[in-house]
Amino acid sequence: MTNTQKPKIGIFSLTGCGGDQLMILNLEPILLDLLSRFEIKDFQEASSYKEEEAELDIALVEGSVSTKTDLEKLKKIRERSKMIIAIGDCAIGGCVQAMRNGQMSMEERMRKVYGVDVDYYDVLEPKGISSYVNVELEIPGCPIEKSQVLHAITSLLHGDMPEEIDYPVCVECKLNGYPCLLVEKGLPCLGPIITAGCDARCPGLGLDCIGCRGPIRDESNVAAELEVLLEKGYDEEYILNRLRFFGGNFEDIQKLTKRISEKSKGRRNSHEEDS
Amino acid sequence: MYKVLPKENLQSLFEGLRKIGDVYAPVKISGLSHDFRKVNSISEVDLEYTRTMIPPKKFFVKPRETLFEFDEEKLQYAEVQNGGGLNVILGMHACDINGLKVIDAAYINENPDKYYMQRRESTLIIGVSCTPDEYCFCRSMGADYAVDGFDLFLHEIGRGYFVRIGSEKGLRVIEENSSLFEDASKEDIEEFKENERRKAESFKLELDISGLQDMLDLAWDHPVWEETAEECFGCGTCNLVCPTCRCYDVADYVELDLKRGERLRRWDSCMLRKHGLVAGGLNFRPTRVERLRNRFNCKGSLVNGLLNCVGCGRCTLYCPAEIDFVKIMKRIRGEP
Amino acid sequence: MSVRNVLVPSPARILKSEDMTDIEKHIELEILDKEFAKRFVYKPGQFVEVGVMGVGEAPISICAARKKEDLLELCVRKVGRVTNAIHRLKPGDILWIRGPYGNGFPMENMEGSNLLLVAGGLGIAPLRGVLQYALTNREKYGTITVMYGIRCYTAMLWRDEFLQLFYEGDKNNVEFFLSYEDPSDKQCYELQCERSDRCMSGVVTKLFELKEVKPENTYAVICGPPIMYKFVVQELMKRNFDPRKIYMTLERRMKCGLGKCGHCIVGSGRNMKFVCKDGPVFTYWDALMTKGMI
Ligand SMILES: Cc1cc2nc3c(=O)[nH]c(=O)nc-3n(C[C@H](O)[C@H](O)[C@H](O)COP(=O)(O)OP(=O)(O)OC[C@H]3O[C@@H](n4cnc5c(N)ncnc54)[C@H](O)[C@@H]3O)c2cc1C
Ligand code: SF4
Ligand code: SF4
Ligand code: SF4
Ligand code: SF4
Ligand code: FES
Repeated sequence: MTNTQKPKIGIFSLTGCGGDQLMILNLEPILLDLLSRFEIKDFQEASSYKEEEAELDIALVEGSVSTKTDLEKLKKIRERSKMIIAIGDCAIGGCVQAMRNGQMSMEERMRKVYGVDVDYYDVLEPKGISSYVNVELEIPGCPIEKSQVLHAITSLLHGDMPEEIDYPVCVECKLNGYPCLLVEKGLPCLGPIITAGCDARCPGLGLDCIGCRGPIRDESNVAAELEVLLEKGYDEEYILNRLRFFGGNFEDIQKLTKRISEKSKGRRNSHEEDS
Repeated sequence: MYKVLPKENLQSLFEGLRKIGDVYAPVKISGLSHDFRKVNSISEVDLEYTRTMIPPKKFFVKPRETLFEFDEEKLQYAEVQNGGGLNVILGMHACDINGLKVIDAAYINENPDKYYMQRRESTLIIGVSCTPDEYCFCRSMGADYAVDGFDLFLHEIGRGYFVRIGSEKGLRVIEENSSLFEDASKEDIEEFKENERRKAESFKLELDISGLQDMLDLAWDHPVWEETAEECFGCGTCNLVCPTCRCYDVADYVELDLKRGERLRRWDSCMLRKHGLVAGGLNFRPTRVERLRNRFNCKGSLVNGLLNCVGCGRCTLYCPAEIDFVKIMKRIRGEP
Repeated sequence: MSVRNVLVPSPARILKSEDMTDIEKHIELEILDKEFAKRFVYKPGQFVEVGVMGVGEAPISICAARKKEDLLELCVRKVGRVTNAIHRLKPGDILWIRGPYGNGFPMENMEGSNLLLVAGGLGIAPLRGVLQYALTNREKYGTITVMYGIRCYTAMLWRDEFLQLFYEGDKNNVEFFLSYEDPSDKQCYELQCERSDRCMSGVVTKLFELKEVKPENTYAVICGPPIMYKFVVQELMKRNFDPRKIYMTLERRMKCGLGKCGHCIVGSGRNMKFVCKDGPVFTYWDALMTKGMI
């Protein structure tokens, strides 16, 4: 990006709560300054002004792909953007919406929620946008951290790709000197497998990490988390649900779920044979 | 020269130390943890502690710190001023004092780190004796006794503390507070020796370190690395709580004006992915297998003749996966 | 007490920044602080930490022998944040440098011997310094053999310079061999047709088929991508080279260049090395003694 021309930016929502766009609006005092450095071509929550076909330097996309409409929209965004940044867990891995992925089919889910008659023609299994298009950068969080967005945006304005955080929350606990809730109190903290960047906010308040920033792709050892929490006396189902809450689309968590459900099926079958 | 500080004079010594500068000492912060914190009264201090979670190296290489503030218009990297003045760390254990010597070897080598040097020189270290728990194995590592690396060392005896003087700075503290100290009597000396003997006998954990370096070399392809990698999170805790780990990462942050900003450094860990990663995606330690192996080899190696582990037990105690440092070292030695 | 802050970088002005390939630029720098320039004495194989304000620092080999006190030449391939930022800068802009770091090649040890330089891709950058040094001190060294492996013609660095050596090096007792990986590359093929004794397609080790390399009185110096070392060393060992007379310069992640940040650590408890401080130049003997080095 050259300094002479303002980078063109678009901010888009797919399926989600819009919380991440809100977080950007929440940057308030510096928001104006920040926005004045871009030429804004599309921003649903801030204005109704849109230039549907304009070429974009950066597209910030939040929300998961949960409908065919989302997917169409996403493909169009990809075509017109040099860089796509997925903001928030929904856009990265489907987040809470993906909790039941790989466990229950979409049809089952729709039936369960709305009854049989609902038209689920448009519905897709919620997934992160990188499942469909190439994504240059991901900013995790549910919602995202203001400081991280700010850092990402200043880096981009400066002309650099922002550095991604790929270490777990435990690191930030230690840098802050917070006593470990898992080790000391046996709380079911997910910190060891969850992407840092929140400055270990929850553990710092004495609350065990529930994993709102999602696991670290190709890195987190989720099987170890299961083992450790089982060891501490937590119930398998409970742990699995906890892991799935924000990480349902994370490959290793899906594998784990499958392994366990097969195991428990096996157990059930053998029980049946026994009786 | 050896002195004795009668128990009832500890409070006054503390006040004397406060005149020198800020005093940092172990404070209980949770069920299992202590931390070195700034203290204003001796009543906040717990000198009976076993270990802090974060070692006192944090005063010298900070967990996070600004190295420079830069300004593109002024064309400069400005150093950040250190507070200046003297600080006192009261209550460091022998293992941590010896651990700091390992860090010294890296930070004060042929190219000394200015910030580190300044902090080292402006800090008065007062050691205190301790009682090992089931995680301590400093004696095996030759780190259970501090021969140097401190200014004063307080060894608990019945009537107070038997005091060793480690430096001129320490001597000055004694001189300036001379009324608080007594000469050590024959009985005091006997008691000090007796206590040292008792401490030596009270270790529950031992590790044979003879030939450890070759044992590690020979265990390069040992199955223990793969097996441990299954359990390990790669969370970095073991490194971040280690008093001898010295690794750091550096990153630049620009302000919104895109001209000014900071260069930050923070503790790093070789258990984390980026530690061995180079541009283009090649990673010299791609999985936890290589990372664990590197960590144990690093800890078992020597720097300037000093072992890179002082046996403080932190990495085992604070590992969320309960990976046991000593057990692994024993396994690679072929011990049952 | 005043200790120099070894982490403070010194400004250097870009005099020249020229594209050599799509991804590599040759950059010439003038060190602005002349006091610093005086201290900035380097030898082939050493590197500098090159920084861009607000982005970070990266270790880059010095790619030419020292000719003038305040001048410095680098070749930078853009692969990430810092190197991309370096590519953005133009002549007149400022880079920030620290160094020189590392041990460099022991040029004195090699005096009186033949030199065999084997480079793959960007690995030619530090070896160019060796070559220049040896050419300026030509009488001190025997036959110089260069084996340079490239992907294709357009990826060839310092093309004019090296093509001249390729054609005319022999006058100066320099034998220059070239290998190229893309067999469909026309320009390389033409070179091969012209000098089939000096150029062939394949990886750089293929060049050992063209040149009968002898271990007597010869030092080998290797630099290239990490996977290359094993194969080149294999060829040399087949020819009974003394492991202590094989030099190679290694790459690891680096942040400080000063033996502090720990990223470049390699080896086992028996033998732990910091590539930045103990290297980046090591002998093959070091590699045999240090696990995980190559
Ligand atoms: C001794 C030595 C000499 C080198 N000489 C040259 C040269 O002459 N020309 C050239 O183009 N490249 C050279 N490299 C490689 C160059 O250092 C990396 O390509 C560069 O660091 C990538 O930085 P980046 O910020 O662009 O990439 P990113 O991927 O964004 O890296 C971020 C940071 O990680 C570290 N890092 C990443 N990759 C490497 C790496 N390969 N080596 C060391 N640190 C790394 C750096 O601190 C870097 O700033 C050399 C490396 C070493 C170790
Ligand atoms: S509290 Fe949680 S995040 Fe913090 S160190 Fe312990 S396990 Fe890790
Ligand atoms: S503390 Fe334990 S789980 Fe974390 S990286 Fe170290 S060994 Fe692995
Ligand atoms: S390796 Fe473990 S026991 Fe040894 S000094 Fe470090 S934290 Fe303490
Ligand atoms: S064990 Fe790892 S983190 Fe600690 S000093 Fe060694 S390389 Fe660095
Ligand atoms: S680069 Fe920091 S120790 Fe080698």
